[in-house]
Amino acid sequence: MSTVAASGGLTLRGLVKRYGAVQAVAGIDLEIRRGEFLTLLGPSGSGKTTLLMMIAGFQDATEGDILLDGQPITGTPAEKRNFGMVFQGYALFPHMTVADNIGYSLSVRGRPKAEIAGRVAEMLELVQLTGKERRLPSELSGGQQQRVALARALAFSPPVLLLDEPLGALDRKLRVEVQEQLKDLHRRVGTTFIYVTHDQDEALSMSDRVVIMRDGRIEQVGSPEELYTRPRTEFAASFLGKSNFLQRDGRRWSIRPERIDLVAQGLGRVSGRVLSLNYFGPVLKYQIETAEHGPLEVDVDAWRGGPALQPGAQVGLDWKDDAAVPLDE
Amino acid sequence: MTPARLNRIIAWSLLVFLVAPALIAIPVSLTSQNYLSLPWDGLSLQYYREVFTSPDWMSSFFQSSLIGLTSAALATVMGTLAAVGLWRMSSRWGEVLRGFLLLPLVIPPIIAAMAFYRLYVPLRLIDTYTGLILAHAVLAAPLVLITVGASLAGFDRRLEQASRNLGASASQTLWRVILPSIRPGVISGAVFAFIASWDEIVVTLFLSKFSVYTLPRRMWNGIRENTDPAVAAAAVVLLGVTFAAFLIWALLQRRARRARTPT
Repeated sequence: MSTVAASGGLTLRGLVKRYGAVQAVAGIDLEIRRGEFLTLLGPSGSGKTTLLMMIAGFQDATEGDILLDGQPITGTPAEKRNFGMVFQGYALFPHMTVADNIGYSLSVRGRPKAEIAGRVAEMLELVQLTGKERRLPSELSGGQQQRVALARALAFSPPVLLLDEPLGALDRKLRVEVQEQLKDLHRRVGTTFIYVTHDQDEALSMSDRVVIMRDGRIEQVGSPEELYTRPRTEFAASFLGKSNFLQRDGRRWSIRPERIDLVAQGLGRVSGRVLSLNYFGPVLKYQIETAEHGPLEVDVDAWRGGPALQPGAQVGLDWKDDAAVPLDE
Repeated sequence: MTPARLNRIIAWSLLVFLVAPALIAIPVSLTSQNYLSLPWDGLSLQYYREVFTSPDWMSSFFQSSLIGLTSAALATVMGTLAAVGLWRMSSRWGEVLRGFLLLPLVIPPIIAAMAFYRLYVPLRLIDTYTGLILAHAVLAAPLVLITVGASLAGFDRRLEQASRNLGASASQTLWRVILPSIRPGVISGAVFAFIASWDEIVVTLFLSKFSVYTLPRRMWNGIRENTDPAVAAAAVVLLGVTFAAFLIWALLQRRARRARTPT
């Protein structure tokens, strides 16, 4: 298997996509580093899929430029870009066997049969599907189809791999498993991964960096930890994880539910009354009404937090100085 | 009487009403008389023998086959390419263009026949195979456009994107991904195009004189000039080929449907 690819750095410059009066992508500037796992995260309609389709070459940019390792590729057609892609629903060729699907990119490039067969075997091993080469896609499970799609997209050693919600069709338990496999695969092939999802857990667990998108613009870019601990906007704070919002000193602050400690009544920064509690296994989630900030959500470690408080109980709420993060206006 | 039973009776009556006039040729073709009549006085296969041994009838049979197969092939290529092109365009102009391309289906055959005649006289295509094949192909291409268009409507656009993304050119994508997926539509279109040419008479009457003499044309003349029951036997052969073509189509459709159902 090839080591870190020699190329795969992308630059997006002032990218705009308009459909009539609608701006699907409203000016994106982004530097994507070679070999990184970058996730475009956003709700539907945020422009993340349109942006991916523009990078793939299936949508023309209304304005702006896309550069691969400094070379403009904005006008290059999709078939000349050499980017791998895993489609939503996989888009495996239904009339071809697994081996023909995986070998397709090499076969259309006119590579010799022996070379294709060798590469197909290598890719099957990479995604642990050896022995399934003669099957049709319809004879495979969803998880297996997803791996064939990955192998097919990586078979020609593309510098960039685009993934459009590749786990959307899998059930929850399998999704966690495949996240691990994807991360491991990314480490091994060294290709730049650009991953589109609306699932915050996927974004947090796999990415080197996450781009939070909203209304065709970038809301915030950063490592998962940066975004989680230092969200800059209310949208970023509530889309990635849960957050309470406070009004203090003339600005808005975000504070994560698990950063608030419950202390004895009269102690702490504010006092409140328990509205409700929900048991979630490892955590207890409280709704606590406070005079200063309205209802706040508080997560308490179920094992270390002491006996559960019942609705109506009076408590104090405390947090460290760095728990409250100031937000941009 | 239950509604289901009533339904069934109406359906069968309609079917008989539609098909019976065509099937009347079968008993007539078996008559032992020497004029067009029902075989009350005994059955005979003599007119089949006549059709199959007459050089004239056999020549017409082969001419119709040649013109039908060639024009169907031509119509299939034109209709399929047009359908794929329109599918790629996917804009308002595409729909306008589609309507325009379907015009041969709407225009009355007699008008089309006159148009071809006016066009072919200066081109010296009257009474030639080339002329008739081209005319039949033009008339049948919209049928292919419709069947292939219907197949493409159910074709997942992401398959085309996947093919291009993997580096395939437009023609590689067409041959290796699009065509295999829409094959049932292409085959249906080809069968319909063949049937359309096989029993076409109006345009043929205008465009042929002596050297081109298709099966429907010879039947037409046979009925006008005399009442030779050989016409009925030829009609049964004509019907038989049409029915066989339809049967092939139906079988292929069924197989395609089975292949699509996941195991």
